[in-house]
Amino acid sequence: MLLAKTLTSSTFKLALIAIGTFGLIVSGILGYVYLSTSSYVRGRSDRAIKSECSDLLAANDRIGRDGLAALIKQRIADGNWADHVYLLVDPSLAPLAGNLQAWPSTITTDAGWTEFRVPPSSAGMDQPLIRAMLEGLPNGDRLLVGRDIGDLDSFTRQIKMAVFISVVLIFSLAGVASVLITRRTVGRIESINATSRAIMLSGLDKRIPLRGTRDEWDRVAENLNLMLDRIELLMSEVKQVSDNVAHDLRTPLTRMRGRLEKAYHTQRSGGSDQSLIGDTIADLDAVLRIFASLTRIAQIEAHTRKGAFRKVDLVEIVGKVVELYDAAAEQDGTCLTVAGDRAVFAVGDSDLIFDAIANLVDNAIKHGRAGGDVVVTSEVVDGRPVISIADSGPGIPPDEREQVFKRFYRLEHSRYAPGNGLGLSLVAAVARLHGARIEMLDNSPGLKVKVWFSAPTT
Amino acid sequence: MTGSHHRILVVEDDPETAGQLADSLASNGYQVDVAASGGEALSRGIAGGYAVITIDRMLPDIDGIVVMRRLRDGGVAAPILIISALGEVDDRVRGLRAGGDDYLVKPFSFVELLARVEALGRRSDTVVKETVLRVGDLAMDLVSRTASRGGKDIWLLPREFQLLEYLVRNEGRIVSRAMLLQHVWDLHFDPTTNIIEVYVGRVRRKVDGQQAYPLIHTVRGIGYCFRAPR
Repeated sequence: MLLAKTLTSSTFKLALIAIGTFGLIVSGILGYVYLSTSSYVRGRSDRAIKSECSDLLAANDRIGRDGLAALIKQRIADGNWADHVYLLVDPSLAPLAGNLQAWPSTITTDAGWTEFRVPPSSAGMDQPLIRAMLEGLPNGDRLLVGRDIGDLDSFTRQIKMAVFISVVLIFSLAGVASVLITRRTVGRIESINATSRAIMLSGLDKRIPLRGTRDEWDRVAENLNLMLDRIELLMSEVKQVSDNVAHDLRTPLTRMRGRLEKAYHTQRSGGSDQSLIGDTIADLDAVLRIFASLTRIAQIEAHTRKGAFRKVDLVEIVGKVVELYDAAAEQDGTCLTVAGDRAVFAVGDSDLIFDAIANLVDNAIKHGRAGGDVVVTSEVVDGRPVISIADSGPGIPPDEREQVFKRFYRLEHSRYAPGNGLGLSLVAAVARLHGARIEMLDNSPGLKVKVWFSAPTT
Repeated sequence: MTGSHHRILVVEDDPETAGQLADSLASNGYQVDVAASGGEALSRGIAGGYAVITIDRMLPDIDGIVVMRRLRDGGVAAPILIISALGEVDDRVRGLRAGGDDYLVKPFSFVELLARVEALGRRSDTVVKETVLRVGDLAMDLVSRTASRGGKDIWLLPREFQLLEYLVRNEGRIVSRAMLLQHVWDLHFDPTTNIIEVYVGRVRRKVDGQQAYPLIHTVRGIGYCFRAPR
């Protein structure tokens, strides 16, 4: 199974290509070494034969046929020329002098280079390979000067063998190595695959095992594990949200159902019917409002609205929000005021920014201290437009500041205040869409929410 | 009013919704025609004579926006109210840009629908350019932006004046909170708190406080109605 995967893996194919290329280059180099070595060795021997041949030719010119024959005999007797082969024949090819029995029958040319094997002088002996030079003498005699190149031949054959063995070794070792490496890679990938399959089959709690080698595979596994953590978190948030949706919708729906059921079983009476219907419509409206908020947040988070972004005047938006909430603040005895710079611009969707600020101001009035202050400031800090909303209420404990942006999250002390816990989720979604950062600070007493927009590019 | 001011074309493919719309409009004195498809809407609409046309955004054959554009191209000037289950502002803007006059998101209350249709029907009447609006003993001078009741000046903030003007212009008709937000503040926004009630309450204190009779009446669950006793 693993072997089949190893052989079909892309790493293995890459390794094969690498081995092929590397092997060809090495073979080329070794081939060159072989060729140059053997031609050097052969060249040396050829040069020796040639000079010996021309020595003998000169001797023939000088001292004649008998002198040459004597010289050849003398050479044969001399140990220094032991590996040399000489043969002087008359025009009828009858040997005059030399250490060959007869003019070799395989020779067809009259002059130049030739190679032949000598018939063995005794049985069981090798047939030595002779390389020889042929020369015709002016008197019609023919001279053969050669050397036993059997040694040379076996030397080059050994080189050839060595070259062949090294090439084979290189290829097979590289093949084995690549199978092992590929197998390791495939093994790591398989463990990732196995985890993925396990996740698909059972659940998101599985993680890819790390080997602690801190190599790139461990890093991939680590990142995939982090991604899985994130997905698991998101899934649990989604589950939390759907649980909350179910709870928040079920409560009014149950009330409505109970009310209608009771009405169904009792006698009609105009007055109680009217109040029942009125209450039911109010509950239905609450349900519809939750739906509307959820789809709105989802739509904002789908980031489809960036096309409608343009330069917006934050001071103007803040002014509009404050004007709208002015009466509500007055009723609560809250003093709602505006502060800050005169011109603060950001790039965004003014309707959405309005929604977000309105939600924050709404929260500040609702959760702030009755009779307290709510100050909305728009200013430019370090080139970045900032809107802050400060109240003097009980604030939010630091460990809950992240939580409040989750859908349906309600602080303990505000659980029974009106609202559905979606306002700050909408604020967070709008902020994310605008690349804005929300900061929650202690206003001692109270809460200060700062929305840092990104600096508008001009 | 001529007969055409009472004729309404309802373009809606769901038979039950269409029936409910037709019933509630008919019980308020309108003569209602129902078109169940875009094609039918085009043939009926171009034949003409409607005071207001309501179009559902999602029709079985042609997109409501396309129907509306073709009606406009065909020379139909009647105000169009788009009704849609798609609530996002983008859709609202797209609908209005394509020639719609108002936008209502499903689900809606019939009182809200009626209020919108009334407002649209009035828009198609010839609007007389008045400089002073009078209802009962209230007078609003639109030039000097001042209001008085029984000759006594009422001090109003600019936005409060605008709100009162909108109520007065719709005298005798129901005005919903969403309509106030839309026309007085130019906002398409759904406040979770009762800010509009509180705002109207403040205007009401200034206008109706220590007077012989109230002019601003609350319509429970819907909005307000401005009227003088007969």
